[in-house]
Amino acid sequence: MEKISRYILVFIAVLTLAIFLPKLYWMAFEKPVWKPFVQYSCINNDFMIQRIREKKWMDTKGKEYSREEYEQTLPMMFFKQLLASGTMPDSINGTALDMRAISREKSFFRLKASEIDAPCPDLYPLFESWSGRAKLELPEDFFRITWRIEFIEASTNKLLEEKSQLFSAALFHNGFSFPAKLISGLPTPRKTCDEGYLIVDSKDQLFHLKMIKGKPFVKKVDIPEGVKFRHISCVDFKNKDFYAYLFSDKNEIYILTQNDYQVIKWLIDGYDLANCDLKIFGDLFNYTVAIEVNDRIKMIALDKQFQVVNTYGEEWPVKEDMLEGRIFASLFPAQLSMTSDNSKFIRFYFSPSNGFNWIFVNLLLMTFHFIWILRRKAKLKNHLADLVIVVLSGIFGFIAIHLFQNKFFD
Amino acid sequence: MWKSVFYKEWLKTRWFMVGYTLLGVLCIGYLFLTLKHSFAFTGGKNVWFTVLFQEQQFYSLLKYVPLAGGLTIAVAQYLPETINKRLKLTFHLPLTENKVLLQMQAFGAGCLLISFLMFGGLFTGFSLIYFPIQMVTNSVVTILPWLLAGFAAYFMIALIILEPNWIFRFCYTLIGVFFLTIYFNSAGATAYASANPVLFILTALLSVVFVFSAYRFRKGEV
Repeated sequence: MEKISRYILVFIAVLTLAIFLPKLYWMAFEKPVWKPFVQYSCINNDFMIQRIREKKWMDTKGKEYSREEYEQTLPMMFFKQLLASGTMPDSINGTALDMRAISREKSFFRLKASEIDAPCPDLYPLFESWSGRAKLELPEDFFRITWRIEFIEASTNKLLEEKSQLFSAALFHNGFSFPAKLISGLPTPRKTCDEGYLIVDSKDQLFHLKMIKGKPFVKKVDIPEGVKFRHISCVDFKNKDFYAYLFSDKNEIYILTQNDYQVIKWLIDGYDLANCDLKIFGDLFNYTVAIEVNDRIKMIALDKQFQVVNTYGEEWPVKEDMLEGRIFASLFPAQLSMTSDNSKFIRFYFSPSNGFNWIFVNLLLMTFHFIWILRRKAKLKNHLADLVIVVLSGIFGFIAIHLFQNKFFD
Repeated sequence: MWKSVFYKEWLKTRWFMVGYTLLGVLCIGYLFLTLKHSFAFTGGKNVWFTVLFQEQQFYSLLKYVPLAGGLTIAVAQYLPETINKRLKLTFHLPLTENKVLLQMQAFGAGCLLISFLMFGGLFTGFSLIYFPIQMVTNSVVTILPWLLAGFAAYFMIALIILEPNWIFRFCYTLIGVFFLTIYFNSAGATAYASANPVLFILTALLSVVFVFSAYRFRKGEV
């Protein structure tokens, strides 16, 4: 019993040390990685790069620009600055510039991997889309979708049977198969207007649901054959070109156009929902897509017909490639973490160290322990399990077996 | 014989146990009084909205209540045993040493379980007045690691108190404190859903670890 309890303690200590020692190491030695800020220029038809740490502005060919020149190559991004300095052009590529049009077409969208692998709420507010009021108001009830759609009044926590039946029937008559796999909308009154929710049913069909004058509006959306949406992000852009960005389980990006419900695929490679940070900058002439992973960025410029016009990629060394990262990989065989940059769930995330240098350190620690056993003239067979623990878990196990000593079992 | 051991433990811990349970019930009472006030003054829809979409945990007051329980019961139960090494008297009972120790531990853990079940029942019952079952389930999933932390703290404190060597006691405290933080990561509701089964197993494993320091205690390690 004592032996079992000791090994449990050693296991708990290894687990604890594998979480906290690497964390403390990186807190002490991690250096910031300065990523470039890349934007597509409708003037140069090239990507413009801002290197923040070096305070350099350049294009992809390495030509350097002053800050003012750089801003002039990106008039859609810096139009307020250019207006202030009087250097805003009247037209670009034959298109006259209208400030209202620039403002209307400007959009920004960001989606982190951690927003996809995250807990979802079970209830949503369905706003009145045509309330006739200037501002949206939070409804008194929230809906959930189980074997039907149910509305529950928040102040009384009571089911609104009539409304539930009305909306359930509307969904059912449009071919909705309960329950829902995915519900996406903008559940906030802080938006310009309400467009309800996009809902994927249990058969991977896509539906648009909103409430107009208290009545259900349901539209089944035709989607390409075989496409299964894994994530949908509804947007509220000023130009009202589309309802949402949709992401398939094959990491494809689609948009759903507003009113005519066209599902259009963007021809973009290299995006992975599981670990990429996606940014999409929209302006009067282009959409610039930035796909960022830990160690690289891929930029894709699209025209307003969503055709790829240019691409750019860049890589940079990550902390694991630097000296402190190599020392880390020698000292620690692995790292455990309760959190991840790619998820909002708390789990035990295990990341083994790069390379195999840690094996030598583990063997060295095992040798130390072996010598320690010999010097104490202890029976080797009583310490075999400890030696195996040190070989497998390295410094974590070494500390753990010395904290919870095997002293009494000789 | 187990009845006598339980009675001995009850005599040591009863007022701490009653006091802690009362405080816990008062905390839950205060929590739902605050919630009732929020429903009356800001409206149910706004309360639901902040809980669902702004990661507001209306039950955050309960975060360290189970931890405090684990600490209280463990100190009340084991600290008297270390004074003048009274625990050694227990080892003269006509029972195997580990059996006595495990009965003591079972008593403490059982007391905590009764308190936590009471808290859980009150919390769930009151929550269902204000929220639908999905939101209540999500709250319980979020609270579960805090409850497990209460048990883990109890087991770790028992280990630390019974350890006879002050240096090791300090080291165990360090490991214990770091280990307990894994139950308290800042996260949204249900973020612990997939970690909870693992935490449950780890906590269950911890239930026997104090046998190790009790062994050192009775062997007179210093």
